[in-house]
Amino acid sequence: MSRGIYYDGVTAERHEVSVAATDGTLSLTGSGISPIDVPASELQTMETEKDRTLLGRAGHPGWRLTLQQPIDPTVASLLPRPGRYGGFIDRVGLPRATAVLAGVAAVVLFVGYSAPAWLAPIVPESWERNLGTAIVGDFGDNACRSPAAARALEAMAARIEPDRGTRAPIPMTLIDVGIFNAAALPGGQVVIFDGALKETPNPDAMAGVLAHEIAHVRRRHVTQALIRELGIGALIRLFAGDIGANAQQIVSLNYTRANENEADADALVALQRASIDPRPTAALFTKLGKDSGGFDSVEWLNSHPRSADRAKRFAAAWKSNARYTPVLSAADYRAIRVTCPEKRRAEREAEKE
Amino acid sequence: MDAVTSGSGGARAIAFTGTWREYLPIAATNVLLTIVTLGIYRFWATARQRRYLWSRTEVIGDRLEWSGTGKEMFVGFLIVMAILLPFFLFVQFLFPALIARGKETAAVGIFSLFYMGLIYLGGFARFRALRYRLSRTWWRGIRGGSDEPGWNYGGEYLGRMALTLMTLFIVWPWAATRLWNGRWNHMSFGPLAFRTNLDADGLKRRWAAVYLVPIAAMVVMMLLAIPVGASIVGGSEEASPGLMVLLGAVFLLFYLIIPLMTLHWYAKFYRKAADSLSLGGLEFGFDARTRDWLKLFLGNIALAVVTLGFGLAFWGYRNWSFMVRHMHLYGEVNVSDLTQSSTHAPGEAEGLADAFDIGAI
Repeated sequence: MSRGIYYDGVTAERHEVSVAATDGTLSLTGSGISPIDVPASELQTMETEKDRTLLGRAGHPGWRLTLQQPIDPTVASLLPRPGRYGGFIDRVGLPRATAVLAGVAAVVLFVGYSAPAWLAPIVPESWERNLGTAIVGDFGDNACRSPAAARALEAMAARIEPDRGTRAPIPMTLIDVGIFNAAALPGGQVVIFDGALKETPNPDAMAGVLAHEIAHVRRRHVTQALIRELGIGALIRLFAGDIGANAQQIVSLNYTRANENEADADALVALQRASIDPRPTAALFTKLGKDSGGFDSVEWLNSHPRSADRAKRFAAAWKSNARYTPVLSAADYRAIRVTCPEKRRAEREAEKE
Repeated sequence: MDAVTSGSGGARAIAFTGTWREYLPIAATNVLLTIVTLGIYRFWATARQRRYLWSRTEVIGDRLEWSGTGKEMFVGFLIVMAILLPFFLFVQFLFPALIARGKETAAVGIFSLFYMGLIYLGGFARFRALRYRLSRTWWRGIRGGSDEPGWNYGGEYLGRMALTLMTLFIVWPWAATRLWNGRWNHMSFGPLAFRTNLDADGLKRRWAAVYLVPIAAMVVMMLLAIPVGASIVGGSEEASPGLMVLLGAVFLLFYLIIPLMTLHWYAKFYRKAADSLSLGGLEFGFDARTRDWLKLFLGNIALAVVTLGFGLAFWGYRNWSFMVRHMHLYGEVNVSDLTQSSTHAPGEAEGLADAFDIGAI
């Protein structure tokens, strides 16, 4: 015999009851209620504490029996064990569950961290091209175009990639935004901002930058970054972005340090193969490093390896016995650099009229 | 026994009987399991926490019971994610796509619509969270709930929020009180409906203080800043300590004065709101003053700092015991009238509210 308090789940009336167990059935008797028999299979132990055990009954919401200590052993033997941590943790025990879960978590983290690198090559280039076109389009009014600049850019790219004609095309676009940057975008596009052209008088330095961005595209780093950001960063970036965003935001896909080192290595090989002097590119990095307090270089410094180290790496690739030739003639490079300023001038004049 | 009366014999009608020692093993295992499941366990952790806190809350001689499960909260969260994630991804691509094509107006328009949708869902989620919590809260085998799905409340919330934003928050006391009524007047416990008729009387002065005290502080700071400004114009080397003072003043304004005045307002709001609430023959009350809230928040922060973050696991415990300790119940409940709730038990948990990280009251 045990004593308890019983609520029937229909009214809030409190009933003091005596509880007995016979043949797998719990029997409740008390004044003011007719005797109740509950099969042990319907019993649920909601909670066990020092001074009480709270029982529920399957299929009877609100049915509650609070058993007071001491509980008769025959009654206690009918009660199922209460859940504590939930689910399988109660079955296998906390220490084992923790070990198993920690192992699974480690695998998940490892796969999540490395997945972009091995998933990227599997993504068909055509998918990514469609996505890229959908995201950036043709840049509308932000692009600066001229036939002469297009020819000169093409010539520069052909020096960097001799087999360019046989591979997937990499469209290159000049963007009329005054930030010191160039970027590889989803869909295998490369953009060069007017600010970078303005600050880079030497075509060989621009060739180093272009080679670096082309390497990002060929190595599918853009795809890796997309997978990484879609997987983890999508929500964060959505809230972090503000409406006054400019072109800089479109190109703020982040590459890993490893990606950047790989792209630099590829760029060095390409410059070597094309007999382009790597020192102007080194000088460009030195300049970026000195400007590190400057606003425009912040982006570069965050996502790229330390500029000074990169400058050293490019400078060290210079060979005294090699014969270097400029990537473009001064006139051809000028055709690229003047495209955006001329577009602006034409727009100003159109406004005046 | 037909009626139980609150507060007879000097005992409080509602009391918290938990102890931190008793809660410690729950908090510790919750933290451990949440870490090794990369956060997924937090739904089960919440359920365990509430089961403990509810069971240590005595209301007129009987304990509350929490019957919500981690599984149902997890499923609710998954449903919300399945609805919201494609939406988020779509906007994430659409927005830069429009910007890149020079269609800034369209981009801004889409974003505004998107934010309006978020505000609507935020209101909906607040309603649903309250309804869910009541439906999983039992007392003497009886639970609460609501028959309203909350869609209308989402619309009301959006409208009042829009009005509040358009008036630079000046009408917030009116909006906040109407929204309180809009939620609680649709809630019930057993067959009894919650009733509240909160209005902005007595709240306006404190809301005005939220505006006026920072302005007054700004004027004082400006007067103090005149010598500082002079030293900057003078271009001397001593300008930098002056600038530090100025930055300190701005910091003080935004991180101390404005939050303090807002807290001052909310303290009164919740006292009035609880006073206006009744359930059958029961009247509610709440007596936490601004300094009580301040002690709670500062205590929470201090606890988290000295325990290197582990104390965060005790915030829910501290907040709940704070609410219960400051709550009062007056009047009586006719127990034979208190029959089982006929409201539908919502199954999808408060996933939406969880996704937006919105509190209970």
